[in-house]
Amino acid sequence: MNNRLKVLRAERDWSQAHLAELLGVSRQTVNALETGRYDPSLPLAFKIARIFEQPIESIFSED
Amino acid sequence: MSSVEDPKMSWPVRIGGLLFLGLAGAGVGYLVGGRMEVEDLRWDDALALVIAALLLTTGVIMAAMAVLRSSTLPPACGPLQALVMLIAGVLMIAPIWGPNLASPDVVFIGLVLLSIIQSVANLMLWRRADEMLRRVMVETSALAFWASQMALFLYAAAERLGLTGGVSAWGMMGVLMTIYLLASTVASMRRGLH
Repeated sequence: MNNRLKVLRAERDWSQAHLAELLGVSRQTVNALETGRYDPSLPLAFKIARIFEQPIESIFSED
Repeated sequence: MSSVEDPKMSWPVRIGGLLFLGLAGAGVGYLVGGRMEVEDLRWDDALALVIAALLLTTGVIMAAMAVLRSSTLPPACGPLQALVMLIAGVLMIAPIWGPNLASPDVVFIGLVLLSIIQSVANLMLWRRADEMLRRVMVETSALAFWASQMALFLYAAAERLGLTGGVSAWGMMGVLMTIYLLASTVASMRRGLH
């Protein structure tokens, strides 16, 4: 699965650590999400969408 | 507001960390090599010592990382991971080295207590971990179970066929821990945790 997490985070000038804090996960998890090494659970995907105020499908897309 | 780049460790902190790891390594080396007749070790004891050294070293590094870069892991997970690793290292070395300090009965009681503490720490780690760390734990367990089961089956079949025999339970434990460490490394690296 592809995602625009890194772009969205950079647009807001947030560090991985800051986003991790907002999401309640580790910085390693944010890094793994951005590099495509880990696909989030549905609850985490909804949380990401809520934080970036965008629908899930505009952040995540199929390969 | 946080900046896009995550803060890097300063050089004094890095040098301090390296000194700390060097001292810890010297301590482990002294304990492992200085207090035992290494030349007379059986293969299962030698394997257990190598695993214990790996676990203790990893535990010390994790403890240092928990202090120096606490944001990389979910809250409290770093110290718990370090504790679990350090206890696992002690568990692997105590049956070999412990009788130099106390009677086997006392050593065994200590091992039982440490096993209980480690189980509680593992449970706490699971509860405090975020979803990716839990996924890594689950994948490690699944991979280790599959590989251990296959290894045990092949050994048992070879023994039944009269092709081999004589591996002690302690030796099997060493092999099991080796498989677990390899599985843990594979599962962690797949998620970029290294």
